[in-house]
Amino acid sequence: MKLPLAIIGAILLAALIGPALLPWSHDAIDWGAIRAAPLSPGHLLGTDSVGRDLLARTLVGTRVTLAVAVAAALVALLIGVAWGATAGWVGGRVDEAMMRVVDALYALPFMFVVILLMVLFGRSILLVFIGIGVVEWLTMARVVRGQLMALKERPFVLAAEAAGARPFAIVARHLLPNVAGVAIAYLLLTVPQVVMIESFLSFLGLGVQEPLTSLGILVKEGADDMDVAAHALLLPGGVLVTILICLTIAGERLRDRFS
Amino acid sequence: MGPLLLRRLLTALPTLAAVIILSFLLMRVAPGGPFDGERALDPATRAALMHAYGLDLPLPEQIGRYLWRLLHGDFGPSLVYRDFTVTDLVAQGLPVSLRLGGFALLLALILGIAMGLFAAARAGGRTDHALMLGATLLTALPTFVTGPVLVLLLGLWAGWLPVSGWGDGDPAHLALPVLALALPVAGAIAKLSRAGLATALGQDHVRTARARGLGPVTVLLRHALRPALVPVASYVGPAAAGLLTGAVVIETLFALPGLGRYFVQGALNRDYPLVLGVVILYAGLIILFNLIADLLYGWLDPRMRG
Repeated sequence: MKLPLAIIGAILLAALIGPALLPWSHDAIDWGAIRAAPLSPGHLLGTDSVGRDLLARTLVGTRVTLAVAVAAALVALLIGVAWGATAGWVGGRVDEAMMRVVDALYALPFMFVVILLMVLFGRSILLVFIGIGVVEWLTMARVVRGQLMALKERPFVLAAEAAGARPFAIVARHLLPNVAGVAIAYLLLTVPQVVMIESFLSFLGLGVQEPLTSLGILVKEGADDMDVAAHALLLPGGVLVTILICLTIAGERLRDRFS
Repeated sequence: MGPLLLRRLLTALPTLAAVIILSFLLMRVAPGGPFDGERALDPATRAALMHAYGLDLPLPEQIGRYLWRLLHGDFGPSLVYRDFTVTDLVAQGLPVSLRLGGFALLLALILGIAMGLFAAARAGGRTDHALMLGATLLTALPTFVTGPVLVLLLGLWAGWLPVSGWGDGDPAHLALPVLALALPVAGAIAKLSRAGLATALGQDHVRTARARGLGPVTVLLRHALRPALVPVASYVGPAAAGLLTGAVVIETLFALPGLGRYFVQGALNRDYPLVLGVVILYAGLIILFNLIADLLYGWLDPRMRG
């Protein structure tokens, strides 16, 4: 679990500070170097079909992709924990009704719902992550509810109740901290899901819009140009796949530790 | 079996109705319309267009009319492909998508169950760990990366397979799209069948089979495999959803004339009836596949028939 997280950390650091260190911005066009090969002077990893520096574009794209992913995963975490904790704590009919809603939403072809939202309300980066966050909270809600159901019969909760603690305080101070580990594991697993959705949308032209860029857009541009410049596909594709694999492995190991 | 199927249908139909009504309402409250082109239309033309497509009626009436026509297999006119109805477009695209998805599901099942079998036969060993790591990698790889990379490797560099187009359903044209679409699903199926086999191998009937002196291969294939496929069957519903989603990318990437491509085109063009029609069709297909998964359940594990 350490190696995948270290790789993610390195990518994150490069994406955060890298662009500031480069002479080219992600959308600056170098007319003298169109489709430059990797290792050509001034462009370490070459340029794309209109002469934009690929290293700069990949770093900025990674930054945007990860920013959207983290923001959307946090939205999912907030909704999921609040929903799951309420259902699990209150129980009974309320619980049943709330979980029915989750079941019904699970049955939706959610990717198409997100696309529908994108189509209807314009393609803005804000909507990309609200849209994703709103559909990605379901698993989190189920997990948190299950944990809470198991925990609330435990003696320390009864003790807190006997000591006169209010329900909200019991949930917030005694139960949620015990759920945190599992929630973090699922948060780690939600991030690659979100990365996948964002890149998917951007690949289709429905997500992040130019001049801003993301890994999905870069993969798309690379795929369009791969017969003459394979590195334009392999570089952003490689970064994207590395992020997805590292997060998935780290998340799965953490989840297995708690279950 | 009967009552279960009926109960599932009773929950599935309201879900489908909710999807339709919600999507329809969302379309109507959204800013911007299908007639907002680069040139502003003059008000009279606009009003005439709105009237011709029934967009000037009150909302409940619009929904009612839409549902009524839907029941007759009429998805309404496409707003962008002016000479076609949505039903025409769907009728053209659906066979292509079903063929692509069907082959991909088949390949994913064969590949995934084979991986699961090999891993379970060598449980705890190196082969097991390597195969399961491979399965994790497969599930983490998005189709929009594996697709282009496979094209690059097998199509452009090796020159073995055609890189795009439908070729009237020619198998060689299908090979790369099917492979790219099947890989992530195969990874998930490999994990599920490996876990199912591990559970099944610990059960009494398997111990009995072993005690009767049957070889490990016979035990694995004839006695452990069938109950182990129950979790795989429950994944058929989500797998179908995954394949449909993946097909959107694959069809765009390989220029295949399937539903997914119409969906993306419709989305980019704000062709509301087309997008709505495809979403409804997708929702219906996913619900259908969940029903099939329930039927498979009963077939694989007789204890669930009730």
